Amino acid sequence: MGFEHFMVGFGWLAAVLFVGVSAYKIARIARLPLNVRWEVYPVPHEAKEKRPYGGSYMEEMDWATTKREASPLATYREIATEVTTLKRVKEHNGYGIWPLSLAMHWGLYLYFVWLFLLVAGNVLLVPGLSLLTIVVGLAAHVLGAAGALGLIVKRTTNRDLRLYTTPPDYFNLLFLAALFLAGLVSWFGDRSFATHKAYIGSVLFFRPVHVPAAVSVSFLLFELFMIYMPFTKLIHYFAKYFTFDRALWDDDFKAKGSAKDRQVTEQLAFKPGWAAPHIAPGQTWLQQAQATTPPEARK
Amino acid sequence: MSHQKPISFRDMAQPGDEPLVTLERDALMPLPAPTAEPLLQAPKAGWAEKYDLSLDGHSDFDFPKPKTAEEEQRLVNGFLSGLQKLFDPQSNWPFVKLLKLSMDYCVHCQTCSEACHVYCGSGRQEVYRPTYRSEVLRRIYQRYFTPSGKLLKSWVGADVELNAKTVRRLLELAYRCNICRRCAQVCPVGIDNALLAREIRKLFSQELGIAPKELLQKGTRQQLQVGSTTGMNPAGFKDTIEFQEELIYEKTGRKIRIPIDKKGADILLIHNAGEFMAWPENPAAFAILFEAAGLNWTLSSESLGYDGVNYGAWFDDVELARIAMRQVSIANQLGVKKIVVGECGHAHKALCVIADRVLPGDLSLPEMPRESCLPLLWQIVQRGAIKFDPARNDFPITLHDPCNIVRLMGIVAPQRNIIKRVCAQPLRELAPQGVNNYCCGGGSGFAIMDTLNFSQWRKSVSSRMKVKQVLDAFADVLDPAAPKYVTAPCSNCKGALRDAIGHYGLWDKYRIMYGGLVDLMVNAMADLPGGFIELNREDL
Repeated sequence: MGFEHFMVGFGWLAAVLFVGVSAYKIARIARLPLNVRWEVYPVPHEAKEKRPYGGSYMEEMDWATTKREASPLATYREIATEVTTLKRVKEHNGYGIWPLSLAMHWGLYLYFVWLFLLVAGNVLLVPGLSLLTIVVGLAAHVLGAAGALGLIVKRTTNRDLRLYTTPPDYFNLLFLAALFLAGLVSWFGDRSFATHKAYIGSVLFFRPVHVPAAVSVSFLLFELFMIYMPFTKLIHYFAKYFTFDRALWDDDFKAKGSAKDRQVTEQLAFKPGWAAPHIAPGQTWLQQAQATTPPEARK
Repeated sequence: MSHQKPISFRDMAQPGDEPLVTLERDALMPLPAPTAEPLLQAPKAGWAEKYDLSLDGHSDFDFPKPKTAEEEQRLVNGFLSGLQKLFDPQSNWPFVKLLKLSMDYCVHCQTCSEACHVYCGSGRQEVYRPTYRSEVLRRIYQRYFTPSGKLLKSWVGADVELNAKTVRRLLELAYRCNICRRCAQVCPVGIDNALLAREIRKLFSQELGIAPKELLQKGTRQQLQVGSTTGMNPAGFKDTIEFQEELIYEKTGRKIRIPIDKKGADILLIHNAGEFMAWPENPAAFAILFEAAGLNWTLSSESLGYDGVNYGAWFDDVELARIAMRQVSIANQLGVKKIVVGECGHAHKALCVIADRVLPGDLSLPEMPRESCLPLLWQIVQRGAIKFDPARNDFPITLHDPCNIVRLMGIVAPQRNIIKRVCAQPLRELAPQGVNNYCCGGGSGFAIMDTLNFSQWRKSVSSRMKVKQVLDAFADVLDPAAPKYVTAPCSNCKGALRDAIGHYGLWDKYRIMYGGLVDLMVNAMADLPGGFIELNREDL
């Protein structure tokens, strides 16, 4: 078995590990207990007339017993806007990282679009697909490399940013920069991305092919990155769903007997292990809360 | 962007009593108009030997420093034990999800920094940056609880050594954040650095029994034992209500019998009991309005039923649940249809929002609704049963948005609608306003914390941005000939504003005063003699 076989196997291994580890990490977050309500406004799924100023259903009377108007679509629209424009970074970041961060993020998004186009190129005959693949692929690599390198420079030259940037943060950026630069180098050897398409085809159909070393290196780096990414905070795009939808915008109050109420009931049966004198040992959360005269000190 | 001496995370472990940061008035954020702000006073002689002031020369904790290595080790061990429990779903189910997400996925972009009024107000002192304390906590957690941190230490950023100094400074640092959560609002990943400050407070309270005494011993403990954080017991409350009735008669000529423990009333109104002591005209104004509007309402004289505060919201989940459980149970026993929370921000948030998932099904919101007073007050205005004369409120006016009611509950419009109807001059909005407002600087307990020299820090640093906003809002009418009114529908915000107005001399210099929303409404009631708000009070 030669290097070509290895590259096919490694491609699949990377994909399987990426999906598997990501799913495991997501499941672990999802299985954590229901957070208490802790929302921050504006909450995007509020009624349309309240959204522009961040108003909520609690501006009305009798909201607990009145049917609410809410738009789940608005939640996803807001997350999509954030993901595609990094709106909050643009509006509030004082270090000028927005253009660099946006370039790096779009480099990654377009990289995946490019991969999709390479897959499509192996199974479909669509006029213009090759040209589109070249444009998207080139844009992905240029933007990604510029963004990652720019962020490295920014983080090393700005004292405030440097203080907070850890060795793994630099490693992540360097990894990304290497991945995009390797892709660019491989493009100089094959301006049509035809050999890249051939490699993707070899993985798809389990038919090993020989491709130039630069192409192999660029995909090897990408596959290593796919394996590495779920173990790091680089998967913060998954975390966003939970921080926003499951915490900062979770304004849903529970009704007696509802699924949320049952979950809270389960959680109220947990036993907190805290040791302070005002917390009774061995009691459940509910018992702690019900104690009219809480323990003053451990006897 | 910072102009101060470089500080690293490792400095938190630095031995000795020398503060990491020394604050000076002239290095703080400049204000847009001259004020009477005094110079910052150094700690009193002898404090440095007795108390730990090694973060920034300020503290609210008057317990002595550890004297022996054993005492220091006990503090460190207790901290580590508590840190482990923060990440235990059984011990910390209320917040473990958001805590874990916030610890694991911050990308260090510092987008939150400029959103923080404490960081900006301080002249951008590094230790007050929203991410600084989070990063210290993160690095400690990594170093002591993750395999990579244990093995690779500073190679993965886990470089903060944990000693008694680190623990002590982190305790202080947890009380340099108002938990206004403006940082969470602007974070592109949804990281909640303010929550991390609260989680550190929780660790200290729930594991070590350490919290500012105004919040724990004189706060939640006293409320659960006596009935109120003010120390007022049920008998004292009934006396207070008699005083309220007399006050109403004095100010309006009306004889009102304030309903107490009225079974089956539509509304149980719960005030922050501090109002009865510090601003008695505020609960009196509620009584005048509710009676004039013909509402079927009551107050409760049950222990905790007359004090809507819940300091647990700031530092302790167990205390939070206990207080909320008692308050909602009292409403159930009275058979009222709903609870309405008076002008107190954190009471709003604790009772109407956070408590939702720490109470059993029988006490769920649809079973016993809990609402803000603001929509009800707006409804009173809309119904037209009370005639308001805006000319009675003919002075420049601005509105402070209490974080707990506005950013954290989305109640933005009712108070503005009311002001438009009961005031003669257009509302001068603070910039920014609404859900993007800045905290008054008194949030999360700061307004009532005044042990040692903590209140100096609050007035100089955390209230600074609010003072700037107020001066900006009144920039064209600063002439002291005209009184100006800052509306603050929240007890703690009023407390912070009162102190800030005094500290910066805003009343003496510019005739800037503050007060509640209901005060404005009653002041505008056409069938009352007027003068409910005393515009030329000397005690401001």
